[in-house]
Amino acid sequence: MKRVLGTPVTDYMPALGLLTLTAIYLATAYQYSPDARAVPAGVAWVMLILISLDLVSRTRTKSGAALMHWLNPAGDADKQDAVKRYPVLKQLVAVAWIAGFAAAMLLIGILYAVPLYVFLSLLIQGRRPLLVCVGFAAGATLMIWLLFDIVLSLELYPGILFGGA
Amino acid sequence: MLDMWLHGIEGLLQFRELAFLALGMFIGLFFGAIPGLGGAAALALLMPLTYGLEPFTALALSGGVMGGVPMGGSITAILLNTPGSAPNAATAIDGYPLAQQGKAGLAIGAAASSNSIGGILGTVSVLAILPIAKNIVLLFGPPEFFLLALLGLVIVSTTSRGKLLRGLITGGFGLMVAFIGYNDVSGGERFTYGVEYLWDGVHLVPALIGLFAVAEMINLYVKGGSVANNAASVKITKMTSGLMQTFRHWPTVLRGSLIGTVVGAVPGVGGVVASFLSYSMTVQAAKEEDRDSFGKGNIKGVIAPEAAINAKDCSSLIPTLAFGIPGGVEMAVFMGILIVHGMQPGPLLLRDHQVEIYGLIWALTASCVLASFTGLLLVKPLSYVTLLDAQILAPLVLCVAFAGSYAIDMTIENVVVTAVFGVIGYLMVRFDYPRLTIVIALVLGASAERNFHQSMLMSDGKWSIYLNRPISAVLLAATIALLVIPVVRAMLSKASNRKILVEREAA
Repeated sequence: MKRVLGTPVTDYMPALGLLTLTAIYLATAYQYSPDARAVPAGVAWVMLILISLDLVSRTRTKSGAALMHWLNPAGDADKQDAVKRYPVLKQLVAVAWIAGFAAAMLLIGILYAVPLYVFLSLLIQGRRPLLVCVGFAAGATLMIWLLFDIVLSLELYPGILFGGA
Repeated sequence: MLDMWLHGIEGLLQFRELAFLALGMFIGLFFGAIPGLGGAAALALLMPLTYGLEPFTALALSGGVMGGVPMGGSITAILLNTPGSAPNAATAIDGYPLAQQGKAGLAIGAAASSNSIGGILGTVSVLAILPIAKNIVLLFGPPEFFLLALLGLVIVSTTSRGKLLRGLITGGFGLMVAFIGYNDVSGGERFTYGVEYLWDGVHLVPALIGLFAVAEMINLYVKGGSVANNAASVKITKMTSGLMQTFRHWPTVLRGSLIGTVVGAVPGVGGVVASFLSYSMTVQAAKEEDRDSFGKGNIKGVIAPEAAINAKDCSSLIPTLAFGIPGGVEMAVFMGILIVHGMQPGPLLLRDHQVEIYGLIWALTASCVLASFTGLLLVKPLSYVTLLDAQILAPLVLCVAFAGSYAIDMTIENVVVTAVFGVIGYLMVRFDYPRLTIVIALVLGASAERNFHQSMLMSDGKWSIYLNRPISAVLLAATIALLVIPVVRAMLSKASNRKILVEREAA
């Protein structure tokens, strides 16, 4: 894995992402009146300082090690090396399942998304027999329908494709 | 006064009232266990059903619900790292690692007993404080509320042991998110980027479901296996050992109950602050060698928030009943039930409906204890949930979590918020950022900003207002001390510094 100043590139990603997000947030804040932006802008400026410190502390340099030791000792380089890392692709797939399920709820509604997601998840991710997948999908749907639609009388979202707003 | 207490008990000890109390407790347990529902949803759904009930019966039902919710929430928090209601997120920090170690029964046993004791101590406090509540609340003004929020954030950041910097960063991120939406200071929307849903801000409960439940399910997907790492120990867990742990750690229970009582008495602060503050203070108070075990399955990490949650539930009745200022969302809904039954919250309520109010307090206490016993009975069968394979468990939990998130206010955008915060939560776990501070920031952000502006208005823009008022000055000093002490301590540990630098140079 490619390293910058001794640290894997991926370890800088969250801080860099947050830095970008904070910069956009700050730029947006300055479009509002002084009263409306006072606190958000103040927080964003402090965040820029804190994230910069976090970025420096992640480098495996003298100053980085000192900062890490003073401000974030739990993240010392030797402790980070001991952290178990999982393949990036596996993590992306797990996130994609969540995103897919949320998107399905939006598009086809809860009552169709639930069985579809449970069935596909068990079949593809869990590698379970077809009958087990169907059983769990039907059970999950029945549970959601009984609980929310029947017991609580809450109208489940029908999905954008089926008339949902 | 004693007369009214006894009348309250007498009113509650009728068959119908007890039956509705038990029904409310079961409903509370059930709603508490389902992420996204919680006490506010349960009370809101029951409100129309109470129309036909006598006021006393309606209050017994409500007390039953409010007492049952925390126990239900702690069961799922411990077993699945999925807090049924927001305050139980603190319980999950150590409860879930205990479940992973096959000690779910121990954790639930401790949660049940600390729940009961917290509820009882909270009731004692309410009975003592209610008559003098007004004077206590009046000691706090906008500057104190603002600094209290700041102190809460810093305390929680320092609690994330060894992660002060990253704790402050996630706290800052939480504040940035909390400022999204309609701004009642200047009267316009901010940071919504044209999304209408965001006018009301990012909803707390969907965000919490994402941060904890969804993030954990992503984690399980990636790791594989089951929640509990040790199947054999799940089977031999003794229920009574959890109970005994609570009595063994009585200072933690007392501290948690006290924090819960104080926080509950302050309007608008809520159970999340009570549970996380109690957890933080317990970590701070722990011995040096004991501190590292927090977050990895320390039973005191379960006892502290659980005692605080129930104590807070009792004491949040103080601002709700005495001033008509709800202590949180659940109390706001409960106020609706009071009004439906002709009881206008405020000082007059305490004069005109004393018997009903004391009946409610006893109902809430009884429900806490009853829910704990019921929870204990369910320990054994529920513990086996932790043995379910991740590939089966995760889809089922996600279905309930997403549907529960939608059900909060029937808004599908909640599902998107839950998914987004689920990914954020997973990234926080993966890159070692603490999640505690983001929760506190989301809860306190808006009120902190409002109180900051009110303070500035009070002082014509002079910052000295935070130093001129005694309570403010103490809170400010405590905040600065908490920020500075860990850094100075680390800088002064010369030997450790030298070792790190030598190692770095050698590398």
